[in-house]
Amino acid sequence: MDLNYSDEQLLLKESADRFLKERYDFDKRAKIVASDDGFDAGIWAEMANLGWLALPFSEENGGLGGGAVEISLIMEAIGRALVVEPYLASVILAGSLIEKLGTESQKAEILGGLIAGTSRPALAHAEKQTGFDLGNISATAVRTGDGYTLSGGKPLVLGGAAADIFLVSAKLDGNIRLFVVPADAVGLARKPAKLVDGSRACDLSLYNVPMPASALLDGDNTLVEVEAAYDRSNAALASEAVGIMDALLDATVSYTKERVQFGKPLAAFQALQHRMAEIAVKCQEARGSALLATLSVDALRSMRIRGVSGARAKIGKVSRVVAQEAIQLHGAMGFSEEMPIGAWFRRLYAIENTFGTTADHLKRYGEIIHDPAVLSGSLLREPA
Amino acid sequence: MDLLMTEEEVRFRDAVRTFLGIHLDDDLKRAERLNPSFLADPDIGLKWQAKLNEQGWVAPSWPKQYGGTGWTLAERYIFDQECERAGEPHFRGASIKMIAPVLMRYGTDEQKAFYLPRILNGEDLWAQGYSEPGSGSDLASLKTKAVLEGDYYVINGSKIWSTLAHHATRMFALVRTADTGKKQEGITFILIDLKSPGVTIRPIRSICGTHEFNQVFFDDVKVSVSDRIGEEGEGWDIAKYLLEFERGGAFAGGVLRAMLTRLHRLASEPLPDGRKMIDDPLFAARLAEIATDIDANDMLELAAMSKVQAGGNPGSVPSSTMKIERSRIRQSIAELAASILGPDALRWEERRPLHELPEESEIAEERKVASAIYFNSRSQSIFGGSNEIQLEIIAKTLLR
Repeated sequence: MDLNYSDEQLLLKESADRFLKERYDFDKRAKIVASDDGFDAGIWAEMANLGWLALPFSEENGGLGGGAVEISLIMEAIGRALVVEPYLASVILAGSLIEKLGTESQKAEILGGLIAGTSRPALAHAEKQTGFDLGNISATAVRTGDGYTLSGGKPLVLGGAAADIFLVSAKLDGNIRLFVVPADAVGLARKPAKLVDGSRACDLSLYNVPMPASALLDGDNTLVEVEAAYDRSNAALASEAVGIMDALLDATVSYTKERVQFGKPLAAFQALQHRMAEIAVKCQEARGSALLATLSVDALRSMRIRGVSGARAKIGKVSRVVAQEAIQLHGAMGFSEEMPIGAWFRRLYAIENTFGTTADHLKRYGEIIHDPAVLSGSLLREPA
Repeated sequence: MDLLMTEEEVRFRDAVRTFLGIHLDDDLKRAERLNPSFLADPDIGLKWQAKLNEQGWVAPSWPKQYGGTGWTLAERYIFDQECERAGEPHFRGASIKMIAPVLMRYGTDEQKAFYLPRILNGEDLWAQGYSEPGSGSDLASLKTKAVLEGDYYVINGSKIWSTLAHHATRMFALVRTADTGKKQEGITFILIDLKSPGVTIRPIRSICGTHEFNQVFFDDVKVSVSDRIGEEGEGWDIAKYLLEFERGGAFAGGVLRAMLTRLHRLASEPLPDGRKMIDDPLFAARLAEIATDIDANDMLELAAMSKVQAGGNPGSVPSSTMKIERSRIRQSIAELAASILGPDALRWEERRPLHELPEESEIAEERKVASAIYFNSRSQSIFGGSNEIQLEIIAKTLLR
């Protein structure tokens, strides 16, 4: 058992923080959010140069072989800087599914483009009725002479506005499978959607989209891998939330130190000091939860759910309090869109409603710990 | 970075499990289940301590040279988890966790050689003499006086909230040896024999119905200068060192998880009307929330442990966070358990210790002690530096 970051990991964290501090300040972000595409191609190219887009993929697939810990460090930095580019959607969610389920040529082509910064895949899986039941989809794939035709509706595809490739799930002979569908495919309609946190998604509809046989991803364990990919993404979201919470604490502490009322800084009032200390307590707890999620993404399913959904449940609850308190302690300033406080608040709100709500995750966690062996089990694991 | 045990640690865990399976008998476990307090009934605690002493496992945190186990932090963590899972009586209090590390750090060779073995074999039980009727969180304002007369200090004053002082043989105390200068500078750390003439002990029953606390009065009590720890006026630094042990030196993950597992079992039993609390979605949600709190706190404990193992310091914000959260988690579990009782919550059993009552089913006994455990849990956010003091410590670090 060792929970200390390695020197390489600390360097990665430092370089990620520095890059975003220099190249992605709040004004720059505001311009990106207000732009037509809501996406900055230059920043994306720099992320490719820094190796971020290659980070989670194995070396044989052209990646850097980074693990969940490295991803968590990038996500914390992304949270603090409020990055709206689809790192999570393209690299962690769609990218990792291609790596798990893609054929050799799909991996070479799509991951190659993703790592180089020229391609941005997005996963189009959940549907209106899916909710937290990932198996509940109704899009269909029908065999044709030399391939398939796909039909169905996929609302709120994260990263969908900037995507050039969609991984579309559909039922083929009753089984859920994934298909690689180019954004310009015949019969595919994409309607961009602005999201509450300033990022862009799209509502996708497919009507008899003809796809060649080569569009089908390998493997008949698609649903299992989709669930695992959502768990990886949820662990990443937990770390992103931790980055935001720390940023909210830092901003609140420095604001109350500067803001003078009744002849002294707000930070001199004990009533406010203890509220900030309570924020720090919640930041610490959230950090513990996110770390457990990070170290659970490759564990056995029950341990994975315990780590990941436990973190989403816990962090959902405490991050909401932290964000509300940060606004309150900023007074009217926290209410303004000119300050990042509100943007962090809205991103945390978005996280609470992405890949399952806080309540969904609490329920999923609760079902897992219903087994007394899990409930009473140590966090330490036996070596393989 | 990982959560993996080594092969040796797995073997160690299995050895601890085997030992507990053989030696921790049902009477001891039942007595602990029926104990609403933080520390076990002393008779029970001493019985268990004697069994552990034969194995050399009384003091997991002590170095080998003093009769401890010399275990690594990871081994201590595993040992704690296994003991809690098995339901061991909690006997490691002021003797093993507080005065012992102070003796090791500040004691003379004679003091160490005399006092440490007596702690391990149970001959001495120590009480803490810090708080006074007028000095709680503002500890440095303490007034109990020690006046040097030849080879003796003469002590006058009173200490309060001394846990188990009525069973204890000795007390370590902070006393005032000077009134000049800063109030912290006039404090001295001394060891008092509680059988000395002039010592009077008044019991204080706590709201959980148990007599665990006491007020201790000193009326011209003589203490040999050889029973002073460190120099005169050095008491405050020693006290701070000791509080570090009280605050950050222990694991709570094991006991919290064991308490929640007990609650889960209790909630899985049918109530008189046939319902089970665990099937109630509101109850299940509360239980799950608390479990996520325990996981988070456990990760902070493991992270702090990793830091210490690598030669670092966990830092004051994580340490105070753990102190606050442990108390809150324990209180939430106790409160949720008591919420199951229904009208039985009105019944009150006055007899202490409860394990001396005729045996009933495990569930009936869990129900019998649940209110008292809830009442007792309120002390968690008060002792060892109240949660308000912890928030002060965090705020100071944040705003510095």
